[in-house]
Amino acid sequence: MVRLKRSILWACLIAIAVLAVLSVYGAFLGADRAQAFFNSVPVVIYWGAFGVLLAAGIAVLRRLSWVPSLLLMHLGCILILAGGMWGSPLGQDLQKRFFGTERIRKGQMPVLEGTAENRVMVADSNDTQELPFSIRLRDFRIEYYEPGDLYIQSRNGRRWKLPAEAGRTQALGENLGTVTIQRAFRNFKMDVSGDERIAYDAPGGLNPALEVMIQKPDGTTARRYVFLHRAGHGNPNDPLVMSYEQSPRDYVSELEVVRDNQVVASKDIEVNHPLHHGGYHFYQHSYGQNQMGEYTILMVVSDAGLNIVYTGYAMLIVGVFWHFWGRRLWPTLRSRQAACAPVGVSGEVPNGTG
Amino acid sequence: MAIKYTFQGLLIYMAMAAFLSAFLATVAGRRKAGQWLFMAGFCASLLAYVYRWIDVRHVPLQNLFEVFLCLGMVCYPISVVGRRVLRIGGQWADMLIAAIVLFPAGFKFHAEPQHLPPALQSWLFVPHVGVYTLSYIFMAMAAFRAAVHLCTAKRAAVVDAILPPEQATYTLIAIGFPLLTLGLILGSIWGKRAWGDYWGWDPKELWSLASWLVYVGYFHWRHMFGTQYARINSLWAIAGMAAIVITLLWVNLSRLFPGVHSYAT
Ligand code: HEM
Repeated sequence: MVRLKRSILWACLIAIAVLAVLSVYGAFLGADRAQAFFNSVPVVIYWGAFGVLLAAGIAVLRRLSWVPSLLLMHLGCILILAGGMWGSPLGQDLQKRFFGTERIRKGQMPVLEGTAENRVMVADSNDTQELPFSIRLRDFRIEYYEPGDLYIQSRNGRRWKLPAEAGRTQALGENLGTVTIQRAFRNFKMDVSGDERIAYDAPGGLNPALEVMIQKPDGTTARRYVFLHRAGHGNPNDPLVMSYEQSPRDYVSELEVVRDNQVVASKDIEVNHPLHHGGYHFYQHSYGQNQMGEYTILMVVSDAGLNIVYTGYAMLIVGVFWHFWGRRLWPTLRSRQAACAPVGVSGEVPNGTG
Repeated sequence: MAIKYTFQGLLIYMAMAAFLSAFLATVAGRRKAGQWLFMAGFCASLLAYVYRWIDVRHVPLQNLFEVFLCLGMVCYPISVVGRRVLRIGGQWADMLIAAIVLFPAGFKFHAEPQHLPPALQSWLFVPHVGVYTLSYIFMAMAAFRAAVHLCTAKRAAVVDAILPPEQATYTLIAIGFPLLTLGLILGSIWGKRAWGDYWGWDPKELWSLASWLVYVGYFHWRHMFGTQYARINSLWAIAGMAAIVITLLWVNLSRLFPGVHSYAT
């Protein structure tokens, strides 16, 4: 028995070390190849063996099942492994073969504004599969941080950034002069009559631009218009390159779930706020525009195994804090309060402590 | 290497100077002065952190500059907990760690405020990075005690009131490990909400898993052998810290591992 226990402990140590080494190896592969690697048959066998080892440990090593904190964290690890394997490509394949469950593991779904869609382009294949319900896109929009920034770059590579608001000024040093933002347009328009050009903000529409005045060191001035997200066609002899940028604050898709012509759910999704419906999560993934209009690209991910993994997480966290903080830090703090004197934390060798 | 000629920079350099002087005073035997300087450094770094917070209007943990600023700030409180509650000695190491982690914030990383990209706008952002920050300092303090143990194993004087270095290492890791675990799991849950997968096999994720596993290995090794091979225990602790440093820095700085965490530079 002692030998069996010893062997399990050694096997466990080796299993942990092997996983650490594999993780480092995987880091050199990059995410896509690492994913394929960790789902390859030899590694899947390793995952299974790890789970069995944990279970054997709990069965054979008495303290693992008797000390609740230890039990929680080791059981938690088993659940995380099990949930991960249940939701993995291989796990889903096996479920399809044995239980006939037809589930999309992961895929992308472009939805045109104003239309409903239930076809999903399945990841890692050329297949299209249908969901038992449709997703309608009411509206897609990008929200930006206001007011944006004007970037100025000199030919020798110096860069300045200033908020894109009228009245802002930036001195660029002796050789380059000073830049002032004179006006900020929401919808820039220009009327040309003869030699005269008049820039103005037209109602409606969207064509953000900045009017910039450059005061050169020799006393002359020059006026420039810089348009949002459009690189200017600068004269190559011009000493300054300018661009007007706004960073996105949010990508929002207003979605409705439609079953049998009835809207059964709706949610405005953003990055970090997916829609959860019918065993799938829908994520804001990308967007685009074609001749039919604007569209959003949703990522569709099955939530198979997710609850098992999250339960495992909860057990692991509770177990670890209970084991190390609850049994060490807490009694120490309490006895300190009682006696107002430092009392030992069990830093001694944990063999048989408990 | 770039010097920051700003108020923010000045505060960071003052904190670094105080931490370094605290270290020198302590090793020179002026413990009381060392403590005062340590606290002064903490006040300066706290001020720098609060200043940054007001400046960027979100909890400053978004890029490596802010993370290192935070790392420098939490050293003092963690050291005090270590000394008062956990009976950990060798505070000179904590002062040195504080000065070291502020160095990249002061001289290496750019402090230009950036807008928070959509992926970082999550309630999980602050707990995930914050918890990691705390755990990293615990692990760094543990690694220093482990190094001290390796260097002085034979002639360590046993002082009753404080734990010997090997046990101090264990205690610090035992307190830091739950935080490390929580950081990993919060990151995973965040990944699920932001990108659709609770585990994306991204290089940074894999390095953080590897670091975590080194500590799991440490616990099991120490369970099996106790202090029979005490030096190997200390080597585990140092290996864990090495993995953490790689997780935190190398993945961001080198272009070796492209991945979703690259924005965090
Ligand atoms: C692979 C199979 C595993 C086996 C057979 C195993 C077995 C054990 C045993 C026998 C102990 C000692 C309990 C005691 O204090 O008496 C232990 C402790 C521990 N195990 Fe595992 N374990 C395994 C995997 C894991 C994994 C994957 C984790 C990750 C969370 C883990 C985390 C821990 C922790 C944190 C301790 C506490 C150590 C301490 O109190 O110093 N173990 N394990």
